[in-house]
Amino acid sequence: MYISDILRRSGRTLRSAKVRTLLTSLAIAVGTFSLTLTLAASNGAQQFVDQIITDNFDPAELIVASDDRVFGQGDTSTPREYDPSFGTIASPAGAATQIARLTGDDLERIEELDAVEQVRKNLTVNLQYITRPDQPKFVATISALNPYQSPELRAGNIPEPLNNRRLLLPEAYVASLGFSNPQDAVGETLALTVLPSGGKIQQELARSESYQVAIEDRLVTQDFTIAGVLAPPLTSQPGTELYLYAGTQDVSELNEITTRGTPNYQRYNAVFVRIAGGENTETLQAGQADIRELGYVAQSVQDTQDFLNQIIAVLQGIVAGFAFIAIIASVFGIINTMYISVLQRTREIGLMKALGMHSKDIGRLFRFEAAWIGFLGGAIGSLLAVGLGLAINPWLSETIELGEGNYLLLFDWVEIVGLILALVVISILAGWLPSRKAAKLDPIVALRTE
Amino acid sequence: MIALDKVSKNYGKNTSTFTALDKVSFEVTDGATVAIIGKSGSGKSTLMHVMSGLDSPSSGSVIIDGQPLQSLSQKKIDAFRANDMGFIFQSFFIEPNQTCLQNVLLPLEIAKVARGSRKPKALEALTAVGLDDKADNLAVSLSGGQKQRLAIARAIANKPRILFADEPTGNLDSATGEMIIKLLFSLNADLGCTLIVVTHDKDLALRCQKQIQIKDGKVQRIDQANQRTKKVVR
Repeated sequence: MYISDILRRSGRTLRSAKVRTLLTSLAIAVGTFSLTLTLAASNGAQQFVDQIITDNFDPAELIVASDDRVFGQGDTSTPREYDPSFGTIASPAGAATQIARLTGDDLERIEELDAVEQVRKNLTVNLQYITRPDQPKFVATISALNPYQSPELRAGNIPEPLNNRRLLLPEAYVASLGFSNPQDAVGETLALTVLPSGGKIQQELARSESYQVAIEDRLVTQDFTIAGVLAPPLTSQPGTELYLYAGTQDVSELNEITTRGTPNYQRYNAVFVRIAGGENTETLQAGQADIRELGYVAQSVQDTQDFLNQIIAVLQGIVAGFAFIAIIASVFGIINTMYISVLQRTREIGLMKALGMHSKDIGRLFRFEAAWIGFLGGAIGSLLAVGLGLAINPWLSETIELGEGNYLLLFDWVEIVGLILALVVISILAGWLPSRKAAKLDPIVALRTE
Repeated sequence: MIALDKVSKNYGKNTSTFTALDKVSFEVTDGATVAIIGKSGSGKSTLMHVMSGLDSPSSGSVIIDGQPLQSLSQKKIDAFRANDMGFIFQSFFIEPNQTCLQNVLLPLEIAKVARGSRKPKALEALTAVGLDDKADNLAVSLSGGQKQRLAIARAIANKPRILFADEPTGNLDSATGEMIIKLLFSLNADLGCTLIVVTHDKDLALRCQKQIQIKDGKVQRIDQANQRTKKVVR
């Protein structure tokens, strides 16, 4: 019998037992549904991470720190000796910890390396508030614009270089600050107010009943010109959506005002180090090795990306594991269905053998039936997942604030086809024992079966 | 020509052996009609299974056109059955949830008949048994007689040289049985195929050119039609 005839006949047999076929396929569909959604969520998360990295970081740059805790590494299980020069910060979990920061001397040592093209400080300043005449005050954060970033503008432009107290304002502030549209904001003045660090004086003031008044007296305000209005970022590091951006020099000046007299003054958690020719992976790795030799921690953008993707992969693996267990359970359903099918069709098997069908083809007939069940289950499960995913994607992405144009569930047709093919193979394996039983049936015994 | 030479078939081992066929020998010429008769358990069906290659003899040989069947590989025996033999069973063995046409196509698919000529052959067979108008009907909807006619259509679709019929009228009322008998003999005449019928039915047996009576696995007698010559083989 030709393979194509066996394939067609097996499909026809399954159609004649629609309910049984559908129920067995649905058992597989449950696992496939979960796996398809898991894969899609993982794709979405990975793409989101990749896009954040691509849109915000220069691949030739390394993130260099003095302390591996900056990257969430290091031993957190043993007490750390206090060092007054470090300053104390809260860890992501809220526990007090200390981080050794990079000093000016450290930056000089790094800059002296042949492989290093440029060292860029990672500066972000929490402002007391921003405002303009007759408008409310708003909390804000300003950061030095990464030259690698090319954010989309609603109005204005990004001066080259960005300096002389010019800044980029997120569109979300436009209406709040009383501008009728982004274009109106361009060229206008914005007052940025910071609270200078006061050392002992500030501590004294903090105990005073008139603290608020005293703070107001100490505030320093600098006027900046709005050079451009930023469109809401499609991808950005979470929490940075409302950042104002200015030149490194201007932000550095604000940083010094807020840190003077504190352990953070002219010290940096991490800096960005551009490696000459770092677009080439090997060159970047060589530069990374040079910096590590000096005793610093250096992580490439790729390392960060890999680390984040690894977390996603672990989560994906856990969910996929459960889905896989569901599929394994459904495999027993196939075995059971196929065994019952062999028993119910014993006389049919006898007839086919009497008519000259080879035992090998009888076996194939049953394996193909199992394959059809796997295919159907895979197709039903993945199509349901795709249908549901596409329907809820906009709501889901909005709920978890992925930003416009980004979706949590990204379906990859190659993966889905691969998944269905894998299920077909698994189903064939599940049908192996029943098909062997069918192939080995004695035609005479089979024909005599009542 | 089919020749059986001292064919024996034993089941079981050592002390619990059962002899279903005991040194059976006879010949069947091409195009002949032969009835194998005997009581239940006499070995008729076993004889048919051995002659068709569904079962192998414990000793002796089945020779078809000078070729001992047992010298062929299982694959070749299967191919021989697919191309040269047709089977009709008492219980029809049709696939109820498939159409009449699909049922008749089965042996043609097994025999790897060229795709283009399968449907014409199947329809020709259905026409020969008077079921051409039921080609697209599900087999489950047929009456008992129609089901047996469908089984006959399936058996003759590939124009076999040998047609085995195991109690073809056993599950039918007498009127329908008569119709099936006439159909079988007309096919024998029209197609020129050898017809070997296993039956209890003496009337049916008497219409065959040769009657081979089996008792306890042995050939009791062989009668030639119109001669009524008793020939004791053993």
